[in-house]
Amino acid sequence: MSDLKEYLGPLWRDEALRRLQSELTPEKMNKVTTSMSNIYKNCPGGVELFLFIACEDGKVTRVETGTGEPPQAEFRIIGNYETFARISRAELGAQKALMTGKLKLKGNLAKALKLAAVSDRLNKVLAQIPTQY
Amino acid sequence: MPRILDPQDKYYIDNPGRVKAIQAQMHKRGIDVYLGSRIRTMSFVMDTFCPWRSYIVIPPEGQPTYFTFVVDALRVGDETWIDGDHVRAYGPMGGMDQVSAITDFIKDELGIKKGRIGYEDGISAYTAEGNLSHWEYTHFKDALPGFEWVNSHDIIDALSLIKDKGTIERFRTASLIVDEGHKAARAALESGGYRGMTETVIAGIAALAMRKAGSVSEWNFAGLNEISSGFRTGLGACTPPTTKEIQAGEPLMLDFHAMFKLALGDHSHNYLIGPATKRQRWHADNFVAIIQKVIDNYHAGTTPGTLAAMMMDFAESRGCGDFIQPACEHGIGLFGDEWRIGAIVNPDLPYWTDQDHVYSENEMVVCAMQYAAPEENIGFRYENDIVITKDGCEVLSKYPLGIEEIS
Repeated sequence: MSDLKEYLGPLWRDEALRRLQSELTPEKMNKVTTSMSNIYKNCPGGVELFLFIACEDGKVTRVETGTGEPPQAEFRIIGNYETFARISRAELGAQKALMTGKLKLKGNLAKALKLAAVSDRLNKVLAQIPTQY
Repeated sequence: MPRILDPQDKYYIDNPGRVKAIQAQMHKRGIDVYLGSRIRTMSFVMDTFCPWRSYIVIPPEGQPTYFTFVVDALRVGDETWIDGDHVRAYGPMGGMDQVSAITDFIKDELGIKKGRIGYEDGISAYTAEGNLSHWEYTHFKDALPGFEWVNSHDIIDALSLIKDKGTIERFRTASLIVDEGHKAARAALESGGYRGMTETVIAGIAALAMRKAGSVSEWNFAGLNEISSGFRTGLGACTPPTTKEIQAGEPLMLDFHAMFKLALGDHSHNYLIGPATKRQRWHADNFVAIIQKVIDNYHAGTTPGTLAAMMMDFAESRGCGDFIQPACEHGIGLFGDEWRIGAIVNPDLPYWTDQDHVYSENEMVVCAMQYAAPEENIGFRYENDIVITKDGCEVLSKYPLGIEEIS
């Protein structure tokens, strides 16, 4: 029996929250208060999924996944499921995905750029979760 | 430039009031959102230096939101009066290109899905005007299908015509800074200092003096500090300096530019490098007399056409009508506003100075005259910021009018 967790499933979500809270200190997160929703297009099974992450004063407070409309967030990042999966598998950098138009950002770019390093730290933690895509 | 928020500051501009005035005009015309793209619009609304391609989205009420190239957004945010969340960036990222970032903002953040959108189009002799390009227009239009597009630049043009107290004070200071450039140039040229000196070097000497006095830019798109000597003085209006050496027996034209809090100092002064011939002196005396005549005739109520005709008649009476160019001014405002006079687009000759424009008190122009006798290798230029007053005008550069012979 594999202990891989289904990508964006409930177990993966809970593991993501646990790891983000334990591995990322408020200092590492630059004590930011922000939120983002990743919108996954063209998912297996034809559904649209989301991953929502919120931080308060540098502490990750919420990780939510699901279908349909995600919670309101400061930033929205929209892309294909496969693009996000490649980022999670560390096969593609998030910045490169944005710079090549594979991901689309909505929100204040000037502020988003200040959070680029924080976002990378989040992604690196998420990439460590044993995941079944 | 640091933002100025204290209404008691002599350089204070009521920027929130400007936005409200624009919004009142939008309301009057049924415009739901305004998309500005010209540099003059950025200067007028943002009150900071916006050199990169920028856009300003003005909603029916509340603060505008500014978009610029991502490399400069933080600097603008640090200097402008509007709050940081209203200073946005565009850049080479999915969803963050100019069209996506701005149209998403209008639809999703302002919640305006359809209506009338004001934009800025036209034509200019001024390279950096910043009208919406065809590419921008068609792509913005495709991304905002429910909108009627209305060319509305004249809202800003009309509102920026009469200068407020803070703006005039900024121009006064910018002009005095230019005078520092002229003093430094004069000192460098006299007593044979001109020998071996190139046009580029005298431009740099003036630039350093003006920077020391507080100028942040030589701002002008036609060569920063424009210098011509000898035969080049007779060639016309745009004279970026060259490595030509200044020579005895030649005319020399120094046109210096300083920018202070977006106000544009602009003063041209001329010399004859001795020994001057009688004919050169005659040309020089003509030009000084013409300048004085024009300045003496500025006042609220007159028009560009009236002044130009008076100037030409006067030149003709002195026998030098063939050498004077038939116009004596161009428009001026905060950075990016340097072209036509008036806010009306004359359908017979669109986007050129309206010759019948009637000057009002506290309008500003650059009194600008060009005298050219290329066959004789001589020419002169005069430029000076002026404020129109009820009965005359205030000449802002205080550098003495004249064409001296120096050696």
